[in-house]
Amino acid sequence: MNKLYIGSSLAVLLMAGTLGAAYGADYTPVTDARLQNPEPQNWLMTRGNYQGWSYSPLDQINTKNVKNLVPVWTVSTGVDSGHEAPPIVNNGMMFVSTPYSQVLALDAATGDFLWRYKRKLPEGFSALHNTSRGVALYGDKVFMPCLDAVLVALDAKTGKVDWEVKVADWKDGYYMTMAPLIVKGKVLVGVAGGEFGVRGFVQAFDADTGKPVWKTYTVPARGEPGSETWEKPDTWKTGGASTWMTGNYDPVANVVYWGTGNGSPWFGDQRPGDNLYTSSTVALDGETGKIKGHFQYHQNESWDWDAMNAPMLVDFQKDGGATPGLVTPQRNGYLYWLGRNADGSISYLKSEPYVPQNVFKSIDPKTGRPDVDLAHKPGTGKAAQFCPGLWGGKDWPYEAYNPKTGMIYIPSNENHCNNLEGKVEERVPGQWWTGVAIPDFHFTVDTKAGFYGELQAYYMDTGKRAWRNLYSNSMNWGSVLTTAGDLVFAGGTNDRQFRAYDAKTGEQLWNFRTNSGVIAPPSTFEVNGTQYIAVESGYGVDPAFQQTLMGALVGWNPDVPQGGVVWVFALSK
Amino acid sequence: MRDQTTSLLCRRRAVLKGALALAPWLICPARAQDDPASAPPRRGDRLVFLTGPKKGAPIRSDDLTLGGPQVQAYPADPNGVVRDGSRLNLVIVVRIGSDGLSEETRQRSTDGVVAYSGVCTHQACPVNMWSDDLKAFVCSCHGSTYDPKNGAEVLFGPAPRHLAALPLKSENGLLTVAGAFTGRVGMQSN
Repeated sequence: MNKLYIGSSLAVLLMAGTLGAAYGADYTPVTDARLQNPEPQNWLMTRGNYQGWSYSPLDQINTKNVKNLVPVWTVSTGVDSGHEAPPIVNNGMMFVSTPYSQVLALDAATGDFLWRYKRKLPEGFSALHNTSRGVALYGDKVFMPCLDAVLVALDAKTGKVDWEVKVADWKDGYYMTMAPLIVKGKVLVGVAGGEFGVRGFVQAFDADTGKPVWKTYTVPARGEPGSETWEKPDTWKTGGASTWMTGNYDPVANVVYWGTGNGSPWFGDQRPGDNLYTSSTVALDGETGKIKGHFQYHQNESWDWDAMNAPMLVDFQKDGGATPGLVTPQRNGYLYWLGRNADGSISYLKSEPYVPQNVFKSIDPKTGRPDVDLAHKPGTGKAAQFCPGLWGGKDWPYEAYNPKTGMIYIPSNENHCNNLEGKVEERVPGQWWTGVAIPDFHFTVDTKAGFYGELQAYYMDTGKRAWRNLYSNSMNWGSVLTTAGDLVFAGGTNDRQFRAYDAKTGEQLWNFRTNSGVIAPPSTFEVNGTQYIAVESGYGVDPAFQQTLMGALVGWNPDVPQGGVVWVFALSK
Repeated sequence: MRDQTTSLLCRRRAVLKGALALAPWLICPARAQDDPASAPPRRGDRLVFLTGPKKGAPIRSDDLTLGGPQVQAYPADPNGVVRDGSRLNLVIVVRIGSDGLSEETRQRSTDGVVAYSGVCTHQACPVNMWSDDLKAFVCSCHGSTYDPKNGAEVLFGPAPRHLAALPLKSENGLLTVAGAFTGRVGMQSN
């Protein structure tokens, strides 16, 4: 470390401090009331609202003028791997996280760089997905779940650590990638690690102090309700049901809806029973964490079809009236309409496949329980092919709901399958423990189908498809943003494009080629009367791995350039 | 940067030791090299099984199946202290046979057995899977594939470079470390 370096560092620190102080005077604390009714000009949480719509009421940028959208500033994040976090904006200040547990704070209008938090990950640490899906804001703090399963609270004005708390032991295979959910003064987080034999949970921490408030496991212990669905002793202890995506929230009923992942190991015959609450949505009391209801999308999970995405909270038309509901396109390829009951219970209403799926022979119209075709259920020593493959009809990227069009927009993939055969493996804490090795995934695609990725729009009330766009040379890993300007924004393809579509017709109205692939959720905000669209571009993690496999199968270029950049667009003046 | 600085300070402390009383700010944190369980493998170490029926036992050449797959191991010092205090000490060992080995790999092998760091150079995940088709090591996170016969050069996937090798010799049939890792272990962090 030479003097020049020290001098530069001091200058940067002083500058950052100055800018931080300047913003400190203006920083608007985030309150429960603001989170429940977020101002149109801000993007205060991952999905834009507690209902999980990924929708903005802003309409300055609309179908008529979106062709004039141009970049107004960018910033390099300085890291590679998959960038999967939305820019979060509070009155002109942007917070965006990156792989390897970093947070950048910027002036949302000018791109002025304010501060950076960089987690020092432990020696020897590794994670299956080195990504981050965002931060949460509350009071004057920014909450960052770090890969090493530590939750950190930062001062929004300076980036200094206010408190940090260990959530789980990374050496046992736990890690964190989701954005937290704020629930009335508490910071809720979930954990990843379903490929490592963890036992999933959601935990709430006091936002002021970091003190744990409640913790609810998503696999019940012996004697707890649901434990009878783990028929083989001790399988529940390493049963999975990880909680790796952010939940949605009904602040009136004070009920949190959180998604859970696959069972561990992947092959259900090694853990007989339905295995509650794997591949489920659980409804949690926001105050206590008590499980008030659940819906399991498929039992004895054996396809790596996590139900990680929490459903969107919507009121849809049914039998001539508005029904409080939950709508969710699941990784298993079905789109579900569920009842959101006042007592927190969840009732099944209907479901339809949004991509072809060869596992469910039928679905019980009363319970929603699928009748599984055992010929397409892999097991230990029993190879079976299933479609869609383990990445599902859609993986984690967010769908969106636009109340103006009445449509939901689903980033999906089809014409791909896996053929898996399980083995019994000894568990080593912190190591892959699914029962199948990566070289034995036997991922295949239908090369005659003509497309793989797609963006689909469905009318929420009727379930009819309104339009779709097909991608013949790419999968789709792009979370969707929709706006009152009758627009849909999404990237997700391997050609580095970021696009805007007419929300009503699906017509592509604008596109821009970025530095890398856009697999992060876009967000939108307004500063001084100007509406902006923001998104990270940075390919990596599963899309990159899948692209490599597609290189071997159909000749796609496996080298999609990596490296993160935050892009901010506005209408040219 | 911090680690290098700490290391320099600690070396200075070693030089000063006995000559000067230590200022409190010069006291160094415990370094990996001070803790045998975390120190990197050294010449004379044995390798012990991480998993399986012989978990914890020293590995002999004839314990291993000719042609793979690899087994996971940790080094153990001559006092029997297993060096599993650091994930960076994870070793993979395979009895790949003597045919077709590159000259460098042959020199590091014994009885057709080769050993490498088990930490992927892409994202530091364990390289604990095996491709029977390619007779090659596969990383458990993103599928980087390494050639055991040729210095663990990358055959496929996102890893930027080969795995560090761990030279071996045989002492009464027991696999014994003949030298330090031949290169940097794990990933280059951002």
